[in-house]
Amino acid sequence: VNVAYYKGCLASLSAKELDTSTQALAPKLGIGLHELESVTCCGAGDIHEAEPDYYLHLNARILAYAEASGHDTLMTICNVCTLNLRQANHMLQNDDALRVRVSENLEKVGAPPYSGGVEVKHFLWLIAEGDGFEKLKQAAHKGLKGLRVAPFYGCQILRPSKLLGFEDPDRPWSLEAIIEACGGEPVDYPAKVKCCGFPIIQAREETALGELIQPIEQSLEAGADAMVTPCPLCHLSLDAWQQKLEAATGKRYRMPILHLSQLIGVAAGIEESELKFKRHVVSVAPMLEKVEAP
Amino acid sequence: MDVALKIWRFDAETGEKELRTYEVDAPEWACLLDVLDLIKDRVDGTLAYRKSCRMMICGSCGMRMDGRAILACKERMKPIVERGHVPVISAMGNMPVLKDLVVDMQPFWAKIRRMKPWLETGYEEPPEHGEYRHSQEAMNPIHKEALCIMCGCCVSECNSMESDPEFFGPAALAKGFRFVGDPRDRTKIERLESYNDEHGIWDCTRCYFCNERCPKGVDPRDAIAKLGAESIEEGIDRDLGAKHAKWFVRSAQTTGWLRETELVPKTQGVVEAIKQTKFALSLARHGKVPLPFPPHVAKDVQEARALRELVETQGRQGARGHVQGEKALSRIEHAVLADPEHAGASRQAPEETRQ
Repeated sequence: VNVAYYKGCLASLSAKELDTSTQALAPKLGIGLHELESVTCCGAGDIHEAEPDYYLHLNARILAYAEASGHDTLMTICNVCTLNLRQANHMLQNDDALRVRVSENLEKVGAPPYSGGVEVKHFLWLIAEGDGFEKLKQAAHKGLKGLRVAPFYGCQILRPSKLLGFEDPDRPWSLEAIIEACGGEPVDYPAKVKCCGFPIIQAREETALGELIQPIEQSLEAGADAMVTPCPLCHLSLDAWQQKLEAATGKRYRMPILHLSQLIGVAAGIEESELKFKRHVVSVAPMLEKVEAP
Repeated sequence: MDVALKIWRFDAETGEKELRTYEVDAPEWACLLDVLDLIKDRVDGTLAYRKSCRMMICGSCGMRMDGRAILACKERMKPIVERGHVPVISAMGNMPVLKDLVVDMQPFWAKIRRMKPWLETGYEEPPEHGEYRHSQEAMNPIHKEALCIMCGCCVSECNSMESDPEFFGPAALAKGFRFVGDPRDRTKIERLESYNDEHGIWDCTRCYFCNERCPKGVDPRDAIAKLGAESIEEGIDRDLGAKHAKWFVRSAQTTGWLRETELVPKTQGVVEAIKQTKFALSLARHGKVPLPFPPHVAKDVQEARALRELVETQGRQGARGHVQGEKALSRIEHAVLADPEHAGASRQAPEETRQ
């Protein structure tokens, strides 16, 4: 399957390892990526909140470029991009008058119009079932034997389920299915569906850290060797802010945090030059040492 | 049908806590509240829970089923019995438990009161001839928020409130927008100023649990976004959260992509940013602080800039920008797309631990 690929801000900037590992992994899973060029930030929750009409237009423009590229699927690799684009898409697909107005505006500034012909899907969803899942089982030849992995979903790939709707937001299974297919052992803990605190980590650091501590401590207690997340914002929070949590609690966590594409990448034998674990704040080395030979 | 429930019993006076299993014979049409009534009537009269209307309008019977906040009168038991499931019933979260399924809602009401949940019309008497009239169209923007029955299901699951108990929370803020957006109210600016306080609008972590749980379709998170949009529109942007949001707009307009490295000084101010130097350096070692120069500029970014200028002339700023999408979003059929057979792949902790 060929898809239009929207990598978003973080994978272009502080989480480049997410982009390189996704680009290396996708072809092995039968997913051809057509990277969109003339696209911008989706605005995160921020432009959505502050200037909702501008948010709608920015996201419509991304959808329009995806449609103009001839693809019917726009693939995302970030929870926030996924919710933003899906929400805008639902608004445009279900309200003709709104879509016509936005489309006309797009054309006025030189962008293509949008007719509503694109579906937005996260990379996780393309891998968790169907052809992608079959290809995953073949590609993950090196496996993750001996590794206990804590899935961390984050919020905006699950809720609101009306807009996302891939799986039960309280009993999700996709990450667990992928961990198992790669030969690892998923560990369970209640905070796997809760918030990492990232959206308010700049404005309300203390409140955000009070959220972040739950998944870190619970996954550690459940015996996880590493955590995996489909969202680069959760990744940044869990990986980079973990040291602040350690400073605040006086505890030592050192929990390695992997992007979904990196975890599968390890199982599929993708090179370090593409996985770029050196870009992580918390070392991934102890986890990699635990993986047993197939 | 035979219905079984596991109920977390709790007595605040003694601190005793116990998960007890109950089995009763109930009619096929029974909802959870009917089953609780049968248990109280026939099995154990000491079971405590709140109820009144039995028809989803009084908001009394909020509680948790398998860890999810629900209204007991809205949950039909038949499908649950048919799949052989024994649900765990417990009290709502984020509020102290008084007895069994009854929580202390005083903190909840204090936050509602803090929003001044009444109209400030600015007049005492009706006009000399007739009445003040408002069009349906002018009232539509607060239609969703006006549906709130103050059951507390949203508050029960609020992730920000778990971390900051002072957070006004989704129910109170949705109530706030119900008045900010009311054309009859004359105190919008005072309200927005007050709702922008330390534990207000910008405390929301956007976890969307409130939208997911609300049994009435209020979508409190969307109401909070409307308050944020109205605040920015009115120039009330003193909060770090508002400054953070404005930097995203600035980034989209100038380079197209988030100007990530400048986000900290633009949100917290230069002095705070300098205090964070040690932390920033630890991230920079791993390439987590991309250099702002040369800027990472999106192709055809002039289109994004022109779009902002264009939409500014079309009068959909503030909450109107959020409200315009509601009709379309209300048309979505709620369905879980993926194959439910996969659900077995999820390794779930026992429901008993999810109290």
